[in-house]
Amino acid sequence: MALLSKQERRHFPDWDDPGQCQFHSVTIDLEKCDGCKLCTIICPANVLELFGDKAKKKARVKANARGCISCNNCFAICESGAIEASQHYDFVGYYRQLGRGEFSKPRVF
Amino acid sequence: MAQASVAALRNEDPEEVEKEAGRSSTITVVPEGAAWNGVEQTMLKRRSIRKYKKAQVPGHLIRRMLEMGRFAPSQGNCQPWKFVVIRDADMIQGIEDFCVGTCKKLSRGIDYYTYPAGSFKYFITRAKAKLFNRLQPNMMHPVPVSGITAIAEGRFAVFHKAPTVILLLMDKRGIGVPAIDIGICGTNIVLAAQSLGLGTCWIGFSKFLNQSPEWCARLGVEEPYEIAEAITVGYPVGDPTHLIARETHEIGWFEGGKKEILY
Ligand SMILES: Cc1cc2nc3c(=O)[nH]c(=O)nc-3n(C[C@H](O)[C@H](O)[C@H](O)COP(=O)(O)O)c2cc1C
Ligand code: SF4
Ligand code: SF4
Repeated sequence: MALLSKQERRHFPDWDDPGQCQFHSVTIDLEKCDGCKLCTIICPANVLELFGDKAKKKARVKANARGCISCNNCFAICESGAIEASQHYDFVGYYRQLGRGEFSKPRVF
Repeated sequence: MAQASVAALRNEDPEEVEKEAGRSSTITVVPEGAAWNGVEQTMLKRRSIRKYKKAQVPGHLIRRMLEMGRFAPSQGNCQPWKFVVIRDADMIQGIEDFCVGTCKKLSRGIDYYTYPAGSFKYFITRAKAKLFNRLQPNMMHPVPVSGITAIAEGRFAVFHKAPTVILLLMDKRGIGVPAIDIGICGTNIVLAAQSLGLGTCWIGFSKFLNQSPEWCARLGVEEPYEIAEAITVGYPVGDPTHLIARETHEIGWFEGGKKEILY
């Protein structure tokens, strides 16, 4: 028994179809975000931006932005602990994710 | 005679040899729950850095990193690597321009979704992309494809304006799968950099340079070598070292006659 069915192995998802290529998004705690802008410049998928009034700018995910790779580089650079990815991208067909568990910080054993 | 000594070797208990030699080493078990040591912290704090300070990295630190690569394990100790270090901004811009150009061409050829739906161009490009996807499923994964689109549209860079770029050249005659050896060598380099306060990023898109006879000649890339990967190096902007969460992966654990699935 194979983990991917025959149909799945033959199906290459449409790159532009959100239903077939599910990129997830980060959650941003606006209370904690101080609008430092760092996450928006380091995000490899370029999906983050600042919004709001000059004095109290906050980070948000751009409208219609796709392509977050859940790398959590935004979390790594955020001094306020305001932004985090907690779900990995997944696709239908050939590229369906296998053998993955929940997101977790480094665990001490 | 020769056969007998091989048999003796196989039967010898290595721990007995150690004992007889009076050189028994002690076992040190790190206790459960112990804090991460320096190496573990280096691994956990490493992120791919794509925004750098303008300051150049001192040459001796690049040499120090490459020295760690030199001692990486490789199949049969074949060491199928050599390096090219680029530290001139105009040359880095040159390789950037070439790779961006390649992404633009690729994007025009396969990004069917940039053409009006229902148009002939959409139809033909989509058919081509689907075939290409089937033939090259690793390369044409949705993530690098969206990277290529982003580079073509100027939303993403190839070498991230890093002050230093290291090309990892692979001797294609390496034993087994030399690309694995290159990966291990590069990992040593990247972790050494992290421990020295430097930021790095692996650049898979650097492989496009192999398609340019001009750049290969200028960089000294010739058969049986090819550019396997590149690593950008510089001082990171900000402090991107907060420990992040990532998904866990299945572990099949066989012990005591049982199999357990752990994550
Ligand atoms: C072999 C390899 C090639 C990569 N190529 C690129 C690349 O061309 N451009 C880029 O920005 N990142 C590249 N990356 C970085 C990955 O995107 C990154 O490692 C991944 O998102 C995990 O994030 P982290 O390195 O911060 O933990 C590459 C990584 C590896 C291992
Ligand atoms: S890094 Fe953190 S604090 Fe800074 S803008 Fe992003 S979410 Fe807000
Ligand atoms: S997880 Fe990575 S790709 Fe997603 S928003 Fe954060 S930095 Fe960008």
